Amino acid sequence: MTIKENISFAVSVVGADRPGIVAAITEVLFRLGCNISDSSSTMLAGQFATILIVTHTKPFGKEQLEAELGKVCKQMEMTLSVRELNNGEARRGETEGEICQITVYGADQPGIVYHVANTLAVHQINIMDLQTKLAGTKTEPVYIMLLEAALPDNLVPDDLEKLLSGVKSELQVEIGVRLITPVEL
Amino acid sequence: MAVQNILKYPHPLLKKMAHPVEQLDAEIKRLLQDLVDTMEAGPGSVGVAAPQIGVGLRACVVDVSKNRHGKDNNHGRLLMLNPEIIDCSGMAVMREGCMSVPDFTGDVQRSTDITVRFMDGGNGQTREINASGFEAVAIQHEMDHLDGMLFLDRVVNVATGLFRRKNYK
Repeated sequence: MTIKENISFAVSVVGADRPGIVAAITEVLFRLGCNISDSSSTMLAGQFATILIVTHTKPFGKEQLEAELGKVCKQMEMTLSVRELNNGEARRGETEGEICQITVYGADQPGIVYHVANTLAVHQINIMDLQTKLAGTKTEPVYIMLLEAALPDNLVPDDLEKLLSGVKSELQVEIGVRLITPVEL
Repeated sequence: MAVQNILKYPHPLLKKMAHPVEQLDAEIKRLLQDLVDTMEAGPGSVGVAAPQIGVGLRACVVDVSKNRHGKDNNHGRLLMLNPEIIDCSGMAVMREGCMSVPDFTGDVQRSTDITVRFMDGGNGQTREINASGFEAVAIQHEMDHLDGMLFLDRVVNVATGLFRRKNYK
């Protein structure tokens, strides 16, 4: 489903967390008549990070959006990035395959994310969502990674567990794959 | 027999409490048939509640027997009037979607085992069943529609992935 006839921008803002960031950014978007058609924001180690897909039905320049958002970002010492999306770039994805959640955790060490992601990439498995956290104690840090992936048609979750078994034994981490394909009710 | 349009949120009827069915008469039988026809016409649909087709009555149909999650554990096609959950236990999270809320899915926590009492739309008798697993989830989801509740009112975690399946198996 293409969000068509619209000018779309991918906007991201990152900076030290404080109250009022979302209000300040969305005040600009509201004033300019923009729609937030998709967004995700979270706090990462005290940094607030927001990513928005912004659409506008009338011709609208990237420069104007960047200038207006730039003013408030400068005041709040936040990093801004604006990218214009070509027609059709902002769309809702569809997949024929299953959607699964992959849970990875174990003693912290370099390369956990890379090795898991690389295995998925080699097999053309698309990551749709990825979150990681460093937990445990200072002396025994535990790395936790949760990701959602769209499986190609020819794979089932058990296949994916097998594909990841090499990474699992090499890094000595736990890896679980569970189906989370939505049920239509 | 007729497939009815599924109302989509923000249609106000979807947020209204439905009224009890008084008796199984010709009108209610027609309503149940419409619900079955509409369910069978929906892609992979396993249930429809009367408010979803614009009727504010406590009637819903559920049939998970053709769904991969329910095919081994179900009561076939259930025609439910005035259903009430009289016992429930267990908790599990499932990612749900709803024909009345297109293009959105979310994780919802529901009971895994329920005892539900209802007037059977087949013969008008009171019936009590113990449902579990996916059938229990589907019954709870459809019964929520009778109370003006959508799964959005129960979402514990927004599904961040916006990929939807083209086909529900």
